[in-house]
Amino acid sequence: MDNMAPSKKAGFQKERERFGYAMVSPSMVFLIAVTTLPLVSLLAMSFFRIDLTSPMDNGWAGVENYTEIIKDHRFWHSMRLTAVYTTVTVVLQVMIGLALAMAFFRGFRGQGAMRVSVLLPMILAPVVVGLSWRTLILTPEYGILDYLSILMGFGSKPWLVHPSWALVSVILIHTWQWTPFAFLVFLASLNAMPLEPLEAALLDTRNSWQRFRFVILPMIRPAVYIVIIIRTMVALRAFAAIFSATGGGPGTATEILNLYAYRVSFNSLNLGYGAALGTLLLLLTVGISMVFFRMRKAN
Amino acid sequence: MSTPGSTIAAGKRAAAVVKTALFLTTILIWAFPVIWVIMTSFKARTDIFTLPPKIFFSPTVEHYVEAFLRSSDITRGIGNSLLVAGLTTLLTLLIAVPAGYAFARVTFRFRNQMSFFALISQMAPPIGLIIPYFFILSRTNMLNTYTGLIAIHMSLTVPFSIWLMITYFQDLPTSLEESAAIDGASPFTTFFRVVLPTVWGGVGVTAIFAFIESWNEFLYAVVLTGSRTKTVPVAIFSFLTTEESLWGPFTATGVSIMAPVILVALFAQRQMIKGMTLGATKG
Repeated sequence: MDNMAPSKKAGFQKERERFGYAMVSPSMVFLIAVTTLPLVSLLAMSFFRIDLTSPMDNGWAGVENYTEIIKDHRFWHSMRLTAVYTTVTVVLQVMIGLALAMAFFRGFRGQGAMRVSVLLPMILAPVVVGLSWRTLILTPEYGILDYLSILMGFGSKPWLVHPSWALVSVILIHTWQWTPFAFLVFLASLNAMPLEPLEAALLDTRNSWQRFRFVILPMIRPAVYIVIIIRTMVALRAFAAIFSATGGGPGTATEILNLYAYRVSFNSLNLGYGAALGTLLLLLTVGISMVFFRMRKAN
Repeated sequence: MSTPGSTIAAGKRAAAVVKTALFLTTILIWAFPVIWVIMTSFKARTDIFTLPPKIFFSPTVEHYVEAFLRSSDITRGIGNSLLVAGLTTLLTLLIAVPAGYAFARVTFRFRNQMSFFALISQMAPPIGLIIPYFFILSRTNMLNTYTGLIAIHMSLTVPFSIWLMITYFQDLPTSLEESAAIDGASPFTTFFRVVLPTVWGGVGVTAIFAFIESWNEFLYAVVLTGSRTKTVPVAIFSFLTTEESLWGPFTATGVSIMAPVILVALFAQRQMIKGMTLGATKG
């Protein structure tokens, strides 16, 4: 292409550029319409009183929704639950996923069966997962996990009816469904690891914990970071599995911010207040991702 | 008598046993709940609630008959889901594949900014999106329509489809376009005739993920659909809302929702896992 006349080359570049815009513009316009515009509307709605149960009083409300949120105990409760739910599920996924990956990397027989069984939970409908756990797995006596608990002498547990147990249950469900992701990512990065440093470490007198801590972990650190980031973002979106397993209950025991915003908006039909909650969730998501972004750059 | 060699061998054997046990436990923990749902769906009413739970039983399809024939809800739900997920997939590919190609292979101003926008747009919290969606669609009389639901499902599928396609297009050799350009082919012709045929595998994987995402989606569907457009993840609740739980028809419906996904996973597990972990291992 170097022997083309400069004007022709510039023309070619222009044509390529026009082609590029033509190829990306449909999806860009579409994404602006279905993500950016709704989020702008969300922000706008949060400054209005939009209560569909008594529409006569609806109108501009200024920051009223936000001042109400600050005094709202149910909101702070849902924030605490969101923090607990997100942190615990992400930590469990990373730890279990890493442990399993360490146990199974460098090949083993039956990889196909393993792959299918860990892939399944991730691609099943969260609603089916939540409802199946609620019925077939956690029902007193007849649920398989409760049955096992009785069999092992721990007795029947109030999995979904006691507030703390319900929180444990929804964390358990999320961890079950998504640990395979961490496992598979870590497995892939372990298998892609160069073998020399590991073999050098094997010749050293280091024990296996030191080998993991000082040789393997530094090499898969990028994968650990990315898993933490992706899983945190997904945990902040959690809805369907909790909704179907507990509905946010008993009472508000598993009502993370998503569930609270949903109940306010679509059960109480108070869309203005729901929009303010949604805006705070958006800010939370943006804030956390910016922190992650900084951390990743720093590393 | 234990020579050093035999203790090492014994240690190795013990390690192998532990590893096999761990292997079986892992498979069991993740596969068993799914298998249990499938088994329950084929159990007669009297075989479902037994202690100890029955592993062996004579299978019956009565729950499937009940789920599909007794109420039109489930059959219509599956039809709606097929329609919504099918159209979502088709339209997603139509706009995301060209965008992925341009982002991967063409230089133009604001390219990085725009591809970054596609990346972060998938971080928008669904609950934050559904509130204005619901408000806008109710004002425009678009609640309970397929169009509204498909457009919103595409807000989930388009961003990751663009990024998945970028990685597939990046893997192609540059010589592909160069030789086409020398032959005087326009960029559009090159894309359709030369490039696209080499990435059908990637398009297929992207299509699978887009379909599954829409097929499984619940939050948008439960808010935006009515009795006419209800998808099957919304319809399945009908068996468990009352105090009496109809585990049979519920599991039969659950299996119907899972079946296409499980079938695809059996055939395309390798490609799906690669697609899923690609972003994480390359990033």
